[in-house]
Amino acid sequence: MIKIPPYLKKGNTIGITCPAGYMAKEKAQTCIDVLQQWGYQVMVGKTLGSDSQNYFSATDEDRRDELQAMLDDKNIHAILCGRGGYGVGRIIDDLDFRTFKKNPKWIIGFSDITVLHSHIYSNIKIATLHAPMAAAFNDGGYENEFIQSLKKAIAGKKASYKAAVHPFNKTGIATGELVGGNLSLLAHLTGTTSDINTKNKILFIEDIGEYIYNIDRMMHQLKRSGKLDKLAGLIIGGFTDMKDTERPFGKKVYEVINDILAGYKYPVCFDFPVSHGTTNYALKVGGTYSLKIDKTNVRLMEVQ
Amino acid sequence: MNRKHFLSAVIPLGAVLQAAGGTTKEEPYLAKIPPYLKKGDTIGITCPAGFITLEDIQPAVTKLKEWGFEVKIGSTVGKKDFTFGGTDEERLQDMQQMLDDRQVKAVMCARGGYGAIHIIDQVDFKKFVQKPKWIIGFSDVTVIHSHLNKNFGIASIHSKMCNSFPSDWSKAEPVQIETIESIQKCLLGQQMTYTALPNEKNKTGIAEGILTGGNLKTLETLAGSKSDINTDGKILFVEDTGEYLYSIDRMFWNLKRSGKLNKLKALVVGGFKVKPAEDPADEFGKNLYEIVLSITKEFNYPVCFDFPVGHQKNNFALKCGVKHQLTVTATTTTLIEIK
Repeated sequence: MIKIPPYLKKGNTIGITCPAGYMAKEKAQTCIDVLQQWGYQVMVGKTLGSDSQNYFSATDEDRRDELQAMLDDKNIHAILCGRGGYGVGRIIDDLDFRTFKKNPKWIIGFSDITVLHSHIYSNIKIATLHAPMAAAFNDGGYENEFIQSLKKAIAGKKASYKAAVHPFNKTGIATGELVGGNLSLLAHLTGTTSDINTKNKILFIEDIGEYIYNIDRMMHQLKRSGKLDKLAGLIIGGFTDMKDTERPFGKKVYEVINDILAGYKYPVCFDFPVSHGTTNYALKVGGTYSLKIDKTNVRLMEVQ
Repeated sequence: MNRKHFLSAVIPLGAVLQAAGGTTKEEPYLAKIPPYLKKGDTIGITCPAGFITLEDIQPAVTKLKEWGFEVKIGSTVGKKDFTFGGTDEERLQDMQQMLDDRQVKAVMCARGGYGAIHIIDQVDFKKFVQKPKWIIGFSDVTVIHSHLNKNFGIASIHSKMCNSFPSDWSKAEPVQIETIESIQKCLLGQQMTYTALPNEKNKTGIAEGILTGGNLKTLETLAGSKSDINTDGKILFVEDTGEYLYSIDRMFWNLKRSGKLNKLKALVVGGFKVKPAEDPADEFGKNLYEIVLSITKEFNYPVCFDFPVGHQKNNFALKCGVKHQLTVTATTTTLIEIK
């Protein structure tokens, strides 16, 4: 059974850390201000706006140590990852989740943070929050419904999301724990100790900037590693900024995905608002949801 | 000697002996080697992945005939379904036909690209397993090498394909001629030896084991599937092209975290054509050597760089699934097939 961390109360502290790529502090300033306006205190880690000269926000040791400290600190009630990029996979096996398991807290982020979501779901059995990160607050973004969905999620308000219908949708009703995240990371985690079991789950996937053939290849990896066989339901999020090869692949990305799903009877919806674009609702990995897809509506509701 | 120490040394020895007895089905002690070719034997050409024209395979056809082989051109050569050499169904049928045709003694994939994964689970290997033949190719064909290695323990040839044969042999560089002729040597059953230039980053040592590997990205995307290789006790070689450094780093982490680096006999790093970061601010800050040495620092096995395998002219034919000895010293790197 997946344990749900306590929801936040006014005055609680949110820690911001960058477990993967570098982020300038200015880019997180709006996020910090808005979290404070929401009534939370903010603890900013040294990895945000560090003096790192390379891709990462800090060395593996420093990124791990900071995330470890935030996991263990009882005075930090949730951890918001400043940004994704790449780097969590390099530190995940060196994190000690024992204190976190006893005193769970919300871990928030997406993209490379999928490594944390999957690892924690499979090994620690605590729910995490797949949601927009610091940069999404900028340029007035904090007013949109997606950042607002994060605000509601951490405060404990149950989600009920609607999405537009799509011609490839397969109708039906599914109930199950929600798992998933960035497709590249889910493929990359296959065969490792952070790999997820998707049986009877609602799986969601999204990706950005990949070649269409590579999406096809990763979908085949999910299929061939048994991750598509026994799903309760499947949510296809945004696949933004897709690239094609010189010799065109000949199919659009949703066609590629739809073709691989031929033969599966469970409900599937396409273009659900979970993505690297603006449309990115907060989703609890490990939370139980009900997905209802009919010809005129798509709805994803938290069950408990 | 400390008694406890002594006992712990005895137990693994027994375990090794048991493994050597060949009782495990998926890891035969010695791979099945398909029969080598003789003059007059037929080599089939097929496209399991990307498309190629009949014209573009002519240099290969000419050369294979010069070597004294007959050539059977598969129905997928010249077929095109966007990026693919025919539809999945057409590519599957052609491959199946080549595997089942008793006259065909080896199958050369015309080119890589992408697509072998679409057909691998539908291929019926029954006849092939009874009468193995050499499958030749690299890049996307890593899917087939891995699948054969994992499921049947049948050796295959990782090498250049039809699209790498120069149209004008007289203008070819010596390394092109040498690497293409290495395919012939493999097919005729000559004992293979390879040398690589010394590299100060190499980790020296001597290792023996079955050679396995191929394109790193393809190996990563096979993880968790029934074509996923077991690398325990093997010499693993990897190469890739057009990937960002961060992505190469991530793929090596996949190897490590899926247990593929822990029990190697040796790691052979071939060519890696790195794609520069689109935004200079996203520069990874570690080069290939640093990535590999960092991830293998806890292991004592030999590691060599710049081995002549990859998406480059300097790409020699290697026998996957065959036992080799790798010697890495400060002055030389040699890989020798153990007969």
